[in-house]
Amino acid sequence: MRRMELLQAFGLNIKILIAQLINFAILLLILYKFGYRPILKFLEDRKNTIEQGVIDAKKAVEKLEEISKKEKEIIIKAKKEAKLILQTSREQGEKRHKEIVDKAKYDIGQIINQKKAKMQIEKAATLKEIKKEVADLVIATVEKILVEKVDAKKDNEIIRKIITN
Amino acid sequence: MELSISLAPDILFNIGSMPITNTLFWSFFVSLFLIVITLIINRSLKSVPGTLQNIVEILIEGSYLFVQTITGSNKKTKYLFPLVFTMFIFIAIANIFVFIPGQSAITLDNGEGSVPLFRAVMSDYGMVFILTIISIIAMQVAAIATNGPFKYIGKFLNFKGPLEFFLGLMDFIGELAKILSLSFRLFGNIFAGETLTAVLLFLLPFIAPLPFMFLGILTAIVQAFVFATLTLVFVTMASEKV
Repeated sequence: MRRMELLQAFGLNIKILIAQLINFAILLLILYKFGYRPILKFLEDRKNTIEQGVIDAKKAVEKLEEISKKEKEIIIKAKKEAKLILQTSREQGEKRHKEIVDKAKYDIGQIINQKKAKMQIEKAATLKEIKKEVADLVIATVEKILVEKVDAKKDNEIIRKIITN
Repeated sequence: MELSISLAPDILFNIGSMPITNTLFWSFFVSLFLIVITLIINRSLKSVPGTLQNIVEILIEGSYLFVQTITGSNKKTKYLFPLVFTMFIFIAIANIFVFIPGQSAITLDNGEGSVPLFRAVMSDYGMVFILTIISIIAMQVAAIATNGPFKYIGKFLNFKGPLEFFLGLMDFIGELAKILSLSFRLFGNIFAGETLTAVLLFLLPFIAPLPFMFLGILTAIVQAFVFATLTLVFVTMASEKV
């Protein structure tokens, strides 16, 4: 009797209690099926996506660094090579230039020498010819003079001229 | 005007032999509200969340991590989280809805006199009792699932010696006491808040009840949290090997 009074005072009714229980069970079921499960799965998926994204970004950065490092290496190598090529070509050019100049000098010297020799030869020939002609001329003149009547006076004169000459 | 404070909820109407009390009606309303929100969220899950989705995400993710830190196991969290979080959100929303202005003014004539249509759900001992029973059953299920039925009974009925027997008895009483402590903590707080607000509104209707209403909002959330967390802790403790 006492217990009934207490239950009455709290308004406890077995039907209402069962109704509340069913109500809560349905609420739990629906919230779980349509709320927690999809939302938690969704959050998990997104977390995974973001993690994957972060990992990918990290990888990309690493790759980029690697590539830029390689690029630098290549550039340095290329510069070195270019320098080497430039140096060798310059050396070669200088060598060739020197060679050409030397050859030109040598050639010029050769030509000059040849010309000099030729000129000497020509000069000698000319002199020879001149001498020859002079001699001829002298002979002719002497003959002409000898053909004319030579008197003592003229003879003296000639002799004196020759001597003074 | 008379001040009516009753421990029992008022009966609005009967469907057949089934009485519908104002707290039952109100709990249906809260459930419906939660279900509608859930379905809206379910329909519109986006990778870039909107305001509502953001709030729900923060709430659920934060709670999930909280449950995880207490249980310390992913498997237990998976089983416990839905129950505990539903308890929390149901109690919290039911308590918060009390503060909708004007709701206490709506009354309904049930044939014997006018009764308020709305009443704080948790100020009905029946509702709190059901939640507590669910919580206690969850603890026993967890204990049996972990230790097996014989060990479970052996914990309460221990014949190894007089001291062990006495301690087993104490454990049994402790389980019963949990029902009372869990249910009366929540019921007492909310009922007292309701009563205090009603009395103050009766005596000094303006401004004076405000601080108590702020306290009431705090109590609403804190008690929901305490109830859910205690359930969580008790079930976690029960699920540990003896």
